[in-house]
Amino acid sequence: MKKKAGKIIFGIVILVFLIIQIYPVLWLFMASVKPTVELSSTPFALPKSVTFENFIKVLSDGMIGTYMWNSLKVTGVSLILIILLSGTAGYALSKFRIRGKGKIYAFFTFGIMIPVQITLIPLFIFYSRMGILNTSFSLILPQVGFALPLSVMMFVSFYNFVPDELIEAAIVDGCNPGRIFIRIVFPLARNTVITIASMYSILIWNDFIFANTFISENSAKTVAMGLKDYVGAFGNVDWGATYAAIAISILPPLIIYFALNKWVTAGMTMGATKG
Amino acid sequence: MGVIKSKRWFLAFLLPGLLFYILAVFYPIEESIRLSFMSWGGIGDKTFVGFQNYIDMFRDRVFYEAFFNNLIYLVIVVAMQLGIGLFFAILLTYMTKRVTLVKTLYYVPCIITTVAIAQLFRSMYATEPMGLLNQFLQAVGLDQFVTSWLANIHTALASVSFPEGWRFTGMYMVIFYAALVSLDPSVYEAAKVDGASELQILFRIKIPLIKDIFLLTLTMCLTGALRGFDIPFLLTNGGPGNTTELLSTYMYKKAFSSNQYGYGSTVAVFIILESILVVFILRKIFSEKKEAKS
Repeated sequence: MKKKAGKIIFGIVILVFLIIQIYPVLWLFMASVKPTVELSSTPFALPKSVTFENFIKVLSDGMIGTYMWNSLKVTGVSLILIILLSGTAGYALSKFRIRGKGKIYAFFTFGIMIPVQITLIPLFIFYSRMGILNTSFSLILPQVGFALPLSVMMFVSFYNFVPDELIEAAIVDGCNPGRIFIRIVFPLARNTVITIASMYSILIWNDFIFANTFISENSAKTVAMGLKDYVGAFGNVDWGATYAAIAISILPPLIIYFALNKWVTAGMTMGATKG
Repeated sequence: MGVIKSKRWFLAFLLPGLLFYILAVFYPIEESIRLSFMSWGGIGDKTFVGFQNYIDMFRDRVFYEAFFNNLIYLVIVVAMQLGIGLFFAILLTYMTKRVTLVKTLYYVPCIITTVAIAQLFRSMYATEPMGLLNQFLQAVGLDQFVTSWLANIHTALASVSFPEGWRFTGMYMVIFYAALVSLDPSVYEAAKVDGASELQILFRIKIPLIKDIFLLTLTMCLTGALRGFDIPFLLTNGGPGNTTELLSTYMYKKAFSSNQYGYGSTVAVFIILESILVVFILRKIFSEKKEAKS
């Protein structure tokens, strides 16, 4: 009897924590399908009637499409660069026997400590001198740069598991280091690639600080930036539309998260345990 | 480690990544340090002022306020992320069913952009219309605590710290949980046979065993909190007064609102030194503990 009561209390505690953790997110989706009247009278109750009016309003306004496209561009190009640059640099740092390799590796990992805020002023000045503020490139450069330390580390730790004998055998067979990379080593790193790609797609999609600093034109805004403008853009009475805009823009990361759950958490916790 | 000896190929593989990294991360650091010795308003010539910006910074009342606010922010964020994260991870280890489901859902806030989170909390804290938090307080009869959380100078700082703490508890929970379940059961089974209670096993055996993870998460959490920016910036932008000003929001304001790029860079250099110092100190504690053990 006592054991059963304990179990129930235990279950309730878990549930309470879980509710605190996900209720705000659920509420957001609920609020986005509520009619405006209901939202202002009973904002936290379950919706009595479901409406997609808010979504239609946001989508017909048209800007969210542009924002999503910009975010997609920045995220996509950054991911390709991160994978390519860290995949190759990791290979160099793991499978070559060169003096001073360890120092270069330490130099890369040092970057994990650097707060991203340090780049804001210098890059802003640099970009405005070059006239490339408000471009996707202005976001891609720091995104990739700050992703490199951790992703190089992840590639190196994976490549270290690839037996050196395999490489030696390929050399004996007349394979050059470039072919070894393309044909043997890189294809083996599939899981590392998925881990890095799923984690950084979410982090880059969600970025606010770079976008807020380097982007001011509407046509170049990313989703996170655009969202900031949605707040109150429909007037203070129309929170429904604001929530609909938020719901649309957080959907892609959520989809990636639920589809690639294992890899996302693996990547993010790796960031912790390696730091 | 490593078998290929060709220098040419080594450079071919290393250099693209290395150069990109230097351009994106180290060029800005060098520029920040250089700018921190300059006075520059965005247009015209930069003038070299030596340590003047640093002297100004250490005489700047707002800088100290931001620094101490940042400390309070840090304490709240770290306590929430590590405290709740660990507590929940421990609870999960006693769970038999649906662990993955709970873990997956608990992690969701980490996936959502800070802009959305800021907006969510803004409406929860609001009084006009009554937000979730205030409605809850009214419902349980604590009417005297109903306040406009973000506008009240006594609650603003805690209110901007809470969302940041809340957002990442799931991540630390996952880390702690992974560490706890990877422990070898034979270590504490013996203690159980000897009649140790669950709590004793937890505090005397399990937690000391994951000390390494604790120090690593602490490093991550502290450096994360030292550079905290998004949520305070979005929710209150330092206000009311300077009550929620953090170092990074202050830096941002100085550079991009007041066009004091030199002074802003000085604050940025301070943030970077502070982060490196924290990591250094923690690593030192970490390695000393290790030596003491062996």
